[in-house]
Amino acid sequence: MNAIIQRELAATLRSWKAVLLQAIFLACLGGLVLLRWPSEAHADLGGVESRQVFRVFGYGLTIGLMLVSPAFPATSIVRERLQGTLALLLNSPIHPVSMVLGKLVGSLGFVLLLIVLSFPAAAACFAMGGIALTEQLGGLYLALSLLALQYASIGLFVSSMVRSTDAALRMTYGVILVLAVGALGPFHLLKEAAWAGPGLLEFASGLRSLSPFPAIMGVLGDSGISSGAAVAGQTDALRFFTASGILSLICLAATGWRLGSRPMDRARDAGRITDEQALKTRILRRVMYLWFFDPQRRSGLIAPWQNPVMIKEQRCRPLGRANWMMRLIGGYFVLSFALVLGATTMSQSQGVAAVLAVIAIMQVSLIVLLAPSLASGLISGERESRGWQLLQMTPLSPLTIVVGKLLSASLPLALIMLATLPAYGVLLAIDPAQAWIAISAQLTLLLFACMAIIQCAGIGSLFRNTAAATAAAYGVVAAICVGTLFVWLGRDAPFTAKFVELALTPNPLAATFSIIGVTGFSEYRLAPGNWYVMGVMTVVSAAVLLLQVTRLGRPR
Amino acid sequence: MTSDVVVQTTKLTKTYGSFLALDALTISLERGRILGFIGPNGAGKTTTIKILVGLSRATSGEATICGAVCGKETARIKRLVGYMPDVFGSYDNMRVLEYLDFFGAAFKIPRRDRLRRIEQCLELTGAARMKDLFVESLSHGMKQRVALTRTLLHDPQVLILDEPANGLDPQARVEMRQVLLELARHGKSLIVTSHILPELARICDTVAIITGGKLRAFGGLDEIMRTVRQRRTVEVVLADRDGVRAAATMLGGELGGDASLTQSEATAEIRFSTDRDDAGLAQLLSRMLAAGIRVSQFREMPMDLEDAFLSVTGQSGMKAADPAPSRQVPVAVNEGRA
Repeated sequence: MNAIIQRELAATLRSWKAVLLQAIFLACLGGLVLLRWPSEAHADLGGVESRQVFRVFGYGLTIGLMLVSPAFPATSIVRERLQGTLALLLNSPIHPVSMVLGKLVGSLGFVLLLIVLSFPAAAACFAMGGIALTEQLGGLYLALSLLALQYASIGLFVSSMVRSTDAALRMTYGVILVLAVGALGPFHLLKEAAWAGPGLLEFASGLRSLSPFPAIMGVLGDSGISSGAAVAGQTDALRFFTASGILSLICLAATGWRLGSRPMDRARDAGRITDEQALKTRILRRVMYLWFFDPQRRSGLIAPWQNPVMIKEQRCRPLGRANWMMRLIGGYFVLSFALVLGATTMSQSQGVAAVLAVIAIMQVSLIVLLAPSLASGLISGERESRGWQLLQMTPLSPLTIVVGKLLSASLPLALIMLATLPAYGVLLAIDPAQAWIAISAQLTLLLFACMAIIQCAGIGSLFRNTAAATAAAYGVVAAICVGTLFVWLGRDAPFTAKFVELALTPNPLAATFSIIGVTGFSEYRLAPGNWYVMGVMTVVSAAVLLLQVTRLGRPR
Repeated sequence: MTSDVVVQTTKLTKTYGSFLALDALTISLERGRILGFIGPNGAGKTTTIKILVGLSRATSGEATICGAVCGKETARIKRLVGYMPDVFGSYDNMRVLEYLDFFGAAFKIPRRDRLRRIEQCLELTGAARMKDLFVESLSHGMKQRVALTRTLLHDPQVLILDEPANGLDPQARVEMRQVLLELARHGKSLIVTSHILPELARICDTVAIITGGKLRAFGGLDEIMRTVRQRRTVEVVLADRDGVRAAATMLGGELGGDASLTQSEATAEIRFSTDRDDAGLAQLLSRMLAAGIRVSQFREMPMDLEDAFLSVTGQSGMKAADPAPSRQVPVAVNEGRA
């Protein structure tokens, strides 16, 4: 186990990225505290200023660790598999449990280092007064340590299941987004519903405990997200500590079990095709799958009017296949129906604007989750698999390649946007006066979807390695949508209203909120400035992508 | 078979900073011929290939394929050349037929002809049974066949194959050899790199040996042998084991100290290398017989491509590391083969 810890930790700490990350992390935390460090002769005895800084510090640290802690474990096992060293490890006398623990401790070592690096900033906050040492500072660090453990365990488990590093990152961040944000949804929706019984509410409350936000908000002394009168901040923290510990143990045990159950012992896919099977089977499958959606159907040839790169990309990704597209469309119908139902019931109790805000949050979350996973590896994936060399040898122009790849990535995202239209329709039928607001909000999100796809593709094209491209794309999209909200958190102090408006201008969620008139955002005028900024970022990203593809296509 | 030149490089040079990867390489290949391009790792083979297929630009000198200048007329070069790199370049979740369909569509093969063309090429490379399999599930040998099929799809004039026999089982190697010879018979010109030199020797008309970016030998296989063969290896088999020691002493005296003489009492064999011509060897044999040595066989060991390669590379790159490898290595190779 020691050997694995040493190797994992050494490999992480040796990289320049780790040093850069630590430097940025320290600079951000230090800058934050310096902003509010008392420079005048009078002292804030009430501790209001220090609590404001502590709040921004706490959320910043949480989001930072949420992004960093799963990154290394998520690629840890799958990288061993791809490099062929997993077979060597499994053939060594190291027990799978030791292997998992070694990888966990090795990956967490770096996160712990980041936590330790935040101590001076935390101490400065404490020195400013108004913060309880055990309940608040201690509670925050306990919650963060458990959060890091939970997300590292999830990353390791996902890494043991998938076959590529970018898929591992995608799936891990997806699970984390669902746990951190999605888990809050059911309780938020059900707490006001008259028909929801205590059992259902308790279940929703249990789900909510999987998210770190109620616990962190409780510890920071903020009004908790979705916390009803029955659930106090301290209970939120305790529930999160328990849920996090249990989930980490389950993930670690499952990872150990997967490594111990001969992960290399898998037969090659037989490549069965319906056309080659017996008549009875053929008829049965064609009826059952309505012929077109049969995953074992022999595909038709690419038509002259089709972009070959787009078809290739569609065929390469599992979700691009007809059978999966059918499931996706089915899922979108269900989602759309649920939204219509939710919009109809919630609009009566909470108003149309509140429902529009919920739909906007959901759409932005899905775009943030899906766009980097769909678009960041479009070029780096080709370079990594050495398929780029083959593409270079074809007469396809850089524009054909770029268009084909972007179209393939846009299709699933377009379906998501379309799924919300019936809900918007229902809301407009209930309150036609909201038409302009709904159209503006939808336009903002549509622009964001386009920008996110093109931006992620552009950023990803700068990397040789898909995992790095995916991580960078997630980082940039999260910085735009979540990072700028930190400035908003310090809207009264330390930041001025003008500065907050400027910082929020690129944020599509904030722009949508300001259009809808959500409390805390209605005072900022973010549209149409946000549309222009997104338009410029889209054009710049498209230019970067096209230039990079042209550059890569030229002889070196 | 016509004798027009299809591939021509003239003083092709490539430098990466101060590193000279390719030093004034001049080679040519005629239509319907197979060029074996050999050299140790890092010799400049892949650099040459990348310049030829337009993936890399030469620092100086020129390369042309069917008159199209490599690195400039890239669109024409792409149509003229079928390139099979040493890595497969696979896509996940794609069946072989879909994979080939993509490349067929990319080369704008009309849809009505594409399936027929794919099936013809799959048949030619012996990969027809793999068309419905997923690409990532193929073994290395299977992937080599699919890669060759992909290379043939757009009916290129010149095929540039990087290690096509790599990872193939003996049966598949024989089949691959037949496919390459068949392609040459159809007028295709092939440039093949391989580390399996006996394989190359069986299919190549022309050989280029390159080390450290420099062309060491170029020409027909026989021509190369004649050029590199400065010393001959001779094997003497005696009628009885008892005379081996005396015969070795006698030959040692006759040949001097640089004959790399080896003897085996178990097989009653003696080997030595010499620069004597046929008359000199006949004289040596008659002296042995006159000395009462009972010779059963007296023959020169034939030199093959492997020996030629080792001889050439031994003269260049290995000298510094091993002062006298060129005489001993061929003998070791011959013994291994025997």
